[in-house]
Amino acid sequence: MKKGTFSRLTLLGIVLTSSSALIILQMLHIQNSTKHQELSQWADEEYSYAIENYTPERGNIYDRWGRLLAGNEDVYEAGVMLEYVTNPDTIAQTMEGVNGLTYDQIYNVVSRKYDEKNSIYAVITDFLPSGVIDVLSDVKQTYETENPYGKDPKKPSLRGLIWSSHLKRTYPENSLASNILGFYSFRDRQQGLGYYGVEEYYNDLLAGNPMETFMPRNPYMLESLPEVPAGASLVLTIDREIQAMVEKKLDDAIKEDEAVSGTVIVLDPRSGEILAMATQPRINLNQYWKYEDEFKDKVPFNRAISETYEPGSVFKVLTMSAAYDAGVVDDETTYYDSGRYEKYGGTILNWDRKGHGEQTMQGCMQKSLNVCLAWVADEKLGAEKFYDYMDAFGVGRRTSVDLGGEETWPLSVPDDADWYPIQLLTNAFGQGVAVTPIQLATAISAVANDGKMMKPHVLKAIIQDGKQYNTTPQVLSVPIKAETARTVTAMLVKSLENESSAALVPGYSIAGKTGTAEIPVEGEYSTDLTNASFAGWGPADDPQFLVYVWLEKPQKSPWGSVVAAPLFSDIVKELVVYLDIPPEDAQQNLVAKEG
Amino acid sequence: MAKKSKQAYKQAPWRRQIQSVGMSLLPIIALVVVVSIYLIISAQSASAGLEIMDMHYEEEEVLRIIANQRTELAWKTSYTEMVKRAEKAGYESAPSESVHFMAIPGYTGQNPVLLAPPPGSENTLGPLVNEYYQQSLWDWVYNTFLTSAQTSEAAQ
Repeated sequence: MKKGTFSRLTLLGIVLTSSSALIILQMLHIQNSTKHQELSQWADEEYSYAIENYTPERGNIYDRWGRLLAGNEDVYEAGVMLEYVTNPDTIAQTMEGVNGLTYDQIYNVVSRKYDEKNSIYAVITDFLPSGVIDVLSDVKQTYETENPYGKDPKKPSLRGLIWSSHLKRTYPENSLASNILGFYSFRDRQQGLGYYGVEEYYNDLLAGNPMETFMPRNPYMLESLPEVPAGASLVLTIDREIQAMVEKKLDDAIKEDEAVSGTVIVLDPRSGEILAMATQPRINLNQYWKYEDEFKDKVPFNRAISETYEPGSVFKVLTMSAAYDAGVVDDETTYYDSGRYEKYGGTILNWDRKGHGEQTMQGCMQKSLNVCLAWVADEKLGAEKFYDYMDAFGVGRRTSVDLGGEETWPLSVPDDADWYPIQLLTNAFGQGVAVTPIQLATAISAVANDGKMMKPHVLKAIIQDGKQYNTTPQVLSVPIKAETARTVTAMLVKSLENESSAALVPGYSIAGKTGTAEIPVEGEYSTDLTNASFAGWGPADDPQFLVYVWLEKPQKSPWGSVVAAPLFSDIVKELVVYLDIPPEDAQQNLVAKEG
Repeated sequence: MAKKSKQAYKQAPWRRQIQSVGMSLLPIIALVVVVSIYLIISAQSASAGLEIMDMHYEEEEVLRIIANQRTELAWKTSYTEMVKRAEKAGYESAPSESVHFMAIPGYTGQNPVLLAPPPGSENTLGPLVNEYYQQSLWDWVYNTFLTSAQTSEAAQ
C-alpha cells in the first residue's frame, strides 16, 4: 500500500515535471527559432505601426473684433467597402441626387469588383453635410434590422456603405472681403493651397505642418503619440462692418455711375492698418471654383493691389509735398497760368484747356492745374529731386502689403532707356506713371501721418500654440518732414472748403484731392474714358483714417469731383460713426464737459 | 518538542513526502504569483494604452466638433444674417446725421480683441484633482507622520 502510494506520487511528479520541462523547452525553441524571428519581424512591420497622414486643422481668420471670416466645418466623405457590398442597387437608389449624382454614376462606382490588392474601397462623393449623413445612417440601420448582414439579396441593404468625416474650409461671410481673404482650394484634399490674398500670403502659417507619422498599434508603445499642432489663426485689421458698408456703397456707386469697376481702400495712416479694401468683382469663396466665370480677360483678383493705372491729379499731392519739403515753393510762391506749358517737344494743358492767371500754390492745387504742377516739377524741383522724392514715396515699388498677388509698374527715371524729359511734366500731375491703389494710398498716407509712411498691412495678430502675438506697425520711409505734411494737409482742407467739394463731410475737417486721369487707348489719351479718383483723410488735425476711392471708366461723368468725391463723402459719413469720431463741435462739447 | 515532531514523522512518513512536495511547489507558486502580477500589470497597461488610443481619436473628433460649431456660430452671426435679424426685429440703420455723441465716464472705447493669452503669460490654472487623491501611500505616510515628526523636533 505504502509502495503503491509512493509509486503513484512519483509517477505524477515525473509526468508533471516532464510536461513542464517540455513546455519550457518548446517555449525556448519557439523563442529562438528562425521562423519565430521572421514572424516576429513580419508582425512588427505589418501590425505594430500604421502610417497615418495628419493634416492639421487650417487656422481660422478673424476680423479685428474676433468675428470669424474663414473657418472649418465638418463634412463627410461617403464610399463603399467593396468586399461588403451586397446590394449596389439600394446604395445607388438611396444616394441618387446627393451632390447632384445620378443613379448610374453611383451604381458604376459601388458595383466595382472587389480586389484585395487594387480595389478595396471606392469613393462615391465628398463634402456631404452632417444632415445627409444622419439620414443615411437611419436608413442603413432600418435596412440592417430588416435584413441583417444583407443576407437576402432581394431585400434592400446598405451594407458596405461607409462615411468618414473631415474638415472643409468655409467662409461664413460668403463674398464679403473675398478680395482680401483669397481662397483655399479645399476640393483638392491632398494638395490644397491658398490662392490670393491672406490665404496665399500666409498659407504656410495657416496650414501648419502636415506630417506622416507612425501610429503605434501596440498599446504598449503609446508613449510616442504624434502631436500635430493646428495651423496658426490670424486676426486681421479688417473691420467686418466697415468692409460691408464700403462694399455696399462701392457697388451702388459703380451701378449708378455706370463704371466698369471700382476700388476703395480705408486705412489708418498712423499704423498702416487696412480697415477695409473693397473692389469688384467679388466671388463667393465657398464656390471658389467658379473663379474663372467672374475674372475673365485677366481681370485681377484684387484690383487694389494688382491693377496698375495712371492715377491723374491725385498724384499732385505727392508733387506738391515734394516741392514744399524741398523748400523750392512756399505759400507765397506764385505762378502765372497761361493755360499752356510748352517744353521738351510737348505741350501741357489744363483739364479745362483754359488759363487761370496768377495763382498761389494753394490755387494750383484747388483748381488742379496741370500746367502749374508741370512747372513746379520742371523748374522748381528738377528731375533729380522729383524722382528722388517719388522713390521715397515708394512709387514704382511694391508696398509689401501682406496680401498675395501685389503688382507694380516700374517708374521710369532719367537715364532709363524708356524715359523722356516730357515725362517729368506729365508725371507731375499723375499721367505717364502707373501705380496700384494701395501704392498711392500708402504714399499719400505719409502726408496724413506727419511725413511717416507706414507699411500697409492686414495682419493684426497671430494666434499660435495658444498664444496671441500682436504685430507691430512698421515705418516704410519718411519721405517728407512733419511740418510739410501739416502744411499740405492744411492746403488741401482749404482747397476742398473753397470749392465746396462734394467730398466734404459736415462737421469734420477733411483734406483731400480729386483725380481724373485720361486712359490711353491705342496710343492716344481718351477724354471720354477716365480713371476717376479721390484720396482724402481726416480729421485734418489728427488724421485717423485715409480713404482712397477709384472708379474705372465711369459713364455718368468722367470727373473725379463728380463721381469719386461724393462716394468718398458717403463712406466717411458712416466711417466716422464706426470709428467713434465725433464731429468737431461735438468733440469740443465733450472736452468741455469732461473738463 | 523536537522529539515529538520526530516521532510524528516516524509514525506518518507521508508527512515528509508532503513536506518535500510542498518545498518543490513553493518556487513554482512564487513563480506563478510573479507571473500573475506581471500579467495583471500588462493587462492594465494594455487597457490604459487602448484607452489613450481611444482618447486620442476622441480628441480629434472633439476638435473637429469644436471647429464645426465655431463655424456654425459664425454662419448664424454673419453680417448678412445679423442684418436680416435686425430688420426682422424692426431695427433700421441710423443715418449718420442723427447720430449723437455723448461722453460716458470711464468708457475708453472697444478694447482690442484678445482671442488667446499674450506670450509670457503662464497658465495659472492649478491641478484639477486634489493632491490627496494623487499621492501614494508612501507620500501620505511621509507627509503625515515623518514631516510632522520632523517639524515637532525642530520646534523643540
